[in-house]
Amino acid sequence: MSNSNLFLKSGFLRAPLQNGVGRFVPQLQRIVFKFCKTHGASRGMRDFIEQDLLDFAKQNPNIVVYMKPRRHRSPVIVAEYLNGDRFWMSMHNKTHDEITKWVEVMRTQQGDIAATRLRKLQYTDHPSIQGPWTPFTFKDPELNVASLPDSKYGANDRLPMSATEKLRLMFEQQKLNESDIKTAE
Amino acid sequence: MALTRGIVPFCFKVIKVVPITLQTHNIHRWVAPTLMELKRREKKLGGKKTNPRNTFAEWNLEAELYAFGKRLNEEFNYDTLLQAFTDRSYVVQEEMKQKEMAIDINLKDNKELAEQGEQFIKEYVQVYLETVLPKFPVDGVTSITKNLTNEETLSHISLHLGTKDIILAAEYPVDNYILANTFKAIVGALLQSSGKERTAHFVRDFVITQLQGQDVNEYWPIDDPWSMLTEILRKDGVTIEPRLIGDVGKNTLLACYRVGLYINKKMISSGFGETAATAKEMAAREALKKVFGTEDHMKPINFQLEGIPKPNENNIYQISAS
Repeated sequence: MSNSNLFLKSGFLRAPLQNGVGRFVPQLQRIVFKFCKTHGASRGMRDFIEQDLLDFAKQNPNIVVYMKPRRHRSPVIVAEYLNGDRFWMSMHNKTHDEITKWVEVMRTQQGDIAATRLRKLQYTDHPSIQGPWTPFTFKDPELNVASLPDSKYGANDRLPMSATEKLRLMFEQQKLNESDIKTAE
Repeated sequence: MALTRGIVPFCFKVIKVVPITLQTHNIHRWVAPTLMELKRREKKLGGKKTNPRNTFAEWNLEAELYAFGKRLNEEFNYDTLLQAFTDRSYVVQEEMKQKEMAIDINLKDNKELAEQGEQFIKEYVQVYLETVLPKFPVDGVTSITKNLTNEETLSHISLHLGTKDIILAAEYPVDNYILANTFKAIVGALLQSSGKERTAHFVRDFVITQLQGQDVNEYWPIDDPWSMLTEILRKDGVTIEPRLIGDVGKNTLLACYRVGLYINKKMISSGFGETAATAKEMAAREALKKVFGTEDHMKPINFQLEGIPKPNENNIYQISAS
């Protein structure tokens, strides 16, 4: 995330109130359409109100729809969500289609999610399923019956390959190659 | 030499063409100090004022209450629901106003509904948890119930059901006590309008589901797990034997001991800690989880029990070797 997003409210992707575990509660609680009855900038909004608003209200009885005509002012939609978020959006010069799409976005999102900086794209209550690590977590069962000290377990196997060992391997490789070469006889 | 002479002017040209990027100040220098001054003056006058949502021009209480019921998929009686949303402080405030204006309209507050609702929630959650966690002791279930029905949880639920703006109270924003109380009153109102079973499902879907993704053992702190475990096992006639089965880094800061608990030479649980005593206690905790059927890998709690389960009297403790 870039520096310019640092002042955004941060959060994780979470369903509010375990939504959907019990029953599903649509999160948009009310929506206010503010528009002008005569101004050209509200043309799309007026079309939406004339053609789609009644169906929208009928299909979503859980949303309270308010209309607020304001003379010669820019059209605006304000969506209010159950988690207290208030999503304000200017609809100045937006067409009927665009407004339909934005209203659908407001209806289906769970809050003002664009105003949240996601800390991660996944979330879990239980980051580990095996519990905290202990020295015994991945212990080799062979060690239970071993009698220590044992050169097998005491050997240092973490050193880098020595030059002698490297030379020896090269010599072995050379011998193998020589045996492959066929002569004319 | 001729080559370098050819390149040098070329280099100069490149340097001239490439613009030096400077971060431009889009926001004027006076903006920040002005905002700070405005904020200071606002603070001096007693902080930012939030107007109650129900004083806005675009507010219709009847529509809000209708949508509230539809949102939760429940049928409420309008008058009862309105009563459930009326707080005592609002009634007092209205009576004072009415006295001044010499009129008298009776208003009912949600005290009775809240009491009914609270009693129902407590009884139902207790019975439900006893059914869903059959091996968990009654004390533990009571402790979970207390946590689920405390003010903090209920106010959180209430807030996310959208009661904050609808509540009729003297103050705004309302405090947690009023939020929780309203939720109880809504349950009480639902009890009156839809009956016990529907209300039970409502409580199940909104209160009990708060346990989703939680570790139920954390709601019940056990002070002395070792003596509790031995007590339980003594009733079954079983003796338990702790054994030190591993130690690493003795006499260092990072010492780690591992203790296993054995019944009839079979290990039932193990725990680790920085001393042998801690390791034993952790092992006992693990064993208790096994006894109560609330291990880390337990099946998720069933949130879909239909109806009101019948309370069962006897709790059975079982223990098995793994």
